[in-house]
Amino acid sequence: MRLYKKEGNSIQILSSPKDDVEKGDYLIVEDTNVNRKLITQVIDVQFASVPGLLEELLRDSTTGEQIYGENFDPLGVSSHINHIQDARMLLCKIRGTILNDKLRVNSSWLPSRSKSGITKISINSLLAHARGKEDLSINIGETKDGSPLNITAHDLDGRLNIITGKKGTGKSHLSKLLVLGLVDYKATVVVLDLNGEYAGLGLSAKGGGNKYSDRVYVLTPGANFRVSLSQMGLSVILKILVHALDLPGTSTREFKRIWKSLSQQGKFTLQDLGEAIRKCSCNMHVRDALFSRYYSLVNSGFFTDDEESATSFEKLFDETRDNGGALVINLKDVSSIDRQIVLEYTLGNLVKLLNQWKIKSVFLFAEEAHLYLRETYWDDIVTRMRHFGLFTNFVTNQPDTIKENIYRQADSIFLFNFTNERDLETVSKAARVDSETVKSIAQELPPHHCLLIGRAVKDFPVMVKVRALDIKTMGQTRLFFTNTDS
Amino acid sequence: MELSLSSLKNIESKYLQPNQTPLNQPATEHIADATPIMKIQHPSTIKTIPLEHSLDERPVVAVDVSSIRIGETETGVLCAIRGAIVWKEKNRYRYQRIGPFPFHITEQNKKEIYKLFRNHHFEISEDPRAPSITNIQARMGNLLERWLQLGISCSAYGTIILWDGSMTAGMVDSPVDEMSRLLEIARNRLSIVLAFSKNTTLRFSGHKLTDYAEKAEPPCLLQINDFPSSSGPIILLGDVYVAKLTPGVCSFRLDIDRKVPRERGIEAVQSLLRSDLLVQSYPETLRLAHIFSTFTATEVIGIQRFIAQQYGLKIVMRPNVRRLLFGPFGKGAEG
Repeated sequence: MRLYKKEGNSIQILSSPKDDVEKGDYLIVEDTNVNRKLITQVIDVQFASVPGLLEELLRDSTTGEQIYGENFDPLGVSSHINHIQDARMLLCKIRGTILNDKLRVNSSWLPSRSKSGITKISINSLLAHARGKEDLSINIGETKDGSPLNITAHDLDGRLNIITGKKGTGKSHLSKLLVLGLVDYKATVVVLDLNGEYAGLGLSAKGGGNKYSDRVYVLTPGANFRVSLSQMGLSVILKILVHALDLPGTSTREFKRIWKSLSQQGKFTLQDLGEAIRKCSCNMHVRDALFSRYYSLVNSGFFTDDEESATSFEKLFDETRDNGGALVINLKDVSSIDRQIVLEYTLGNLVKLLNQWKIKSVFLFAEEAHLYLRETYWDDIVTRMRHFGLFTNFVTNQPDTIKENIYRQADSIFLFNFTNERDLETVSKAARVDSETVKSIAQELPPHHCLLIGRAVKDFPVMVKVRALDIKTMGQTRLFFTNTDS
Repeated sequence: MELSLSSLKNIESKYLQPNQTPLNQPATEHIADATPIMKIQHPSTIKTIPLEHSLDERPVVAVDVSSIRIGETETGVLCAIRGAIVWKEKNRYRYQRIGPFPFHITEQNKKEIYKLFRNHHFEISEDPRAPSITNIQARMGNLLERWLQLGISCSAYGTIILWDGSMTAGMVDSPVDEMSRLLEIARNRLSIVLAFSKNTTLRFSGHKLTDYAEKAEPPCLLQINDFPSSSGPIILLGDVYVAKLTPGVCSFRLDIDRKVPRERGIEAVQSLLRSDLLVQSYPETLRLAHIFSTFTATEVIGIQRFIAQQYGLKIVMRPNVRRLLFGPFGKGAEG
């Protein structure tokens, strides 16, 4: 391999067909004279532009059914000609330099074209240069060279991460892997599970429990996840009414008055609330508005007056305090309005508990968050809530539903295959990687392979084949044409 | 092949300087280009011979050879030659490419290589003067072409044999005896040789010979009456015509074996009209032979790589003197 050209942070390397280099591989350009190494990543492999190639191909294309023949080439020169025809140009991005064995993010140095040697470097030896804390490792899978790729839980701690890719590429699988990886290190994880995919986290693939079964809590709203009004502060119930049920301002003020009155009396049942609205000496329209929201709360089935059967987040978090655990909020088959009620309650309660230091921090995994997260929450999550200890991981197959500023602030992106240019354009707005890398590599990722970008891989984008998990697969699409015989 | 290998084994240089002539420019001197200028001093009339499509379909075979300068070493030049034979049978074209054969030619070995090459091809023992290193690649290409032409003459029967160039004999690469022998063998095997020149230096009243075919109705031949058959040592072994075989702007000098009766020669051209595809008056078989023998830039780089790898040479670019002296105005060939 020979260094051919450098423009900005891009370089081109001329490569022979027998060099085993593919997209995503890392190459070291070493100039021994100055003891410096340039770290580059191959983002595309093209044919080298060789003069006369067009004539060559045109001539070859004339041979076929009408024209055929043979070459008498006793010296074997044609193999060298074929070699030139197949010469490749590796388009690479500079990721940093190594000076005296120390890694620097600097692409301004220009190595010698005539003296530099170019060699392939394994991902792990590359990351070894960059890594700080090595503990709390989570095995993601294996790199192209077959070596295991670990990230550390520290890189998810206090961070904002995005898992994205088109349908069926393995996003949820990776998300589960990260959830269980965090649980391994006794972290508390809350999963907003839109399709009931995470319900099997505590079950092994063959059936029966796995090692996480006593640390996975699947909460189904209306079934084993119901709450009482007394658990709720005014702020949480108001969020539900205003944001989930669109209660107007005047009615909200009246509701506050009613809630304070009930609070003074210590009456927090649904029946008491209904009675209070009925007796309220307010405008008829206000009363009607309050009643309609009241019935929405009652009909959601999410609320109960039975304190014993009510779910207490505080207690659940207490259970996960020592060994960690995952609270899976199963939103499958929950209507859009009820989903928002549950979400407002869950997030409101989480913030309340975090604020009160009743829990240290929580990792939140939100699948297709745009379907239930209100507009104002996006900024709240990436700015304010992060400081309270709520570390969010968004999982989506529609990257344009996540706001641009979220991409800009994302610490790590786990990018699966996308073929649509517009989707890639959206993801390429991430601040931690150049758009060319995203567009070139992500388009050709096979299923279950992802491109890790950002802090988790020390800003060295890495392609990884995500490892399998021994958990029961849930949320599979129901098919009409299934083989009933088998 | 052995000559090629033995010449390469004697490379004493450590460096290979690639040829600086732009690769898309022809770097070869061909037999046709080597034909000396013969001005027609006292021409008579030009007679147009209309051609008819014959029913007689015959096999067609064409030969062409290319040579190219690959680069220089400290002691000599590196060149390569390749030949191509294309023949048409039953509406299908077949080809056989011979080579490429790279050679390393130095002042020390040029005479020996040329002599061996020449003696191998021609049954004459007179001691030739080896050409200069600059021209030797073209000379060797010409010798290979004559050798392939001889092979075709000996093996083909009742065939139209197409040469690229003319039937001019008496030059160093085309001794009269040998050229006559080539044609005689073909004649004896009921084949006929037609030589097409893409470029002719022959002029008539100051105009290029082929210009006279502009207004002619194709397919036709323009016969030059009383054309001189010799000029000093140079002898034309063929009758010279201008061939305009299809509509279009192109016409070519066509030499037909002089010892073949004129009618038979014209019949052969008429048979060619039926037997081969003609585009712009040029036979497809000959066009393919040219295409298959010509070196592309990729091939030149491939041959440079072959030599560098096999014989441990390092490819270096020496400063281009013209560029150094004249900067952006230093275009054109070295010299």
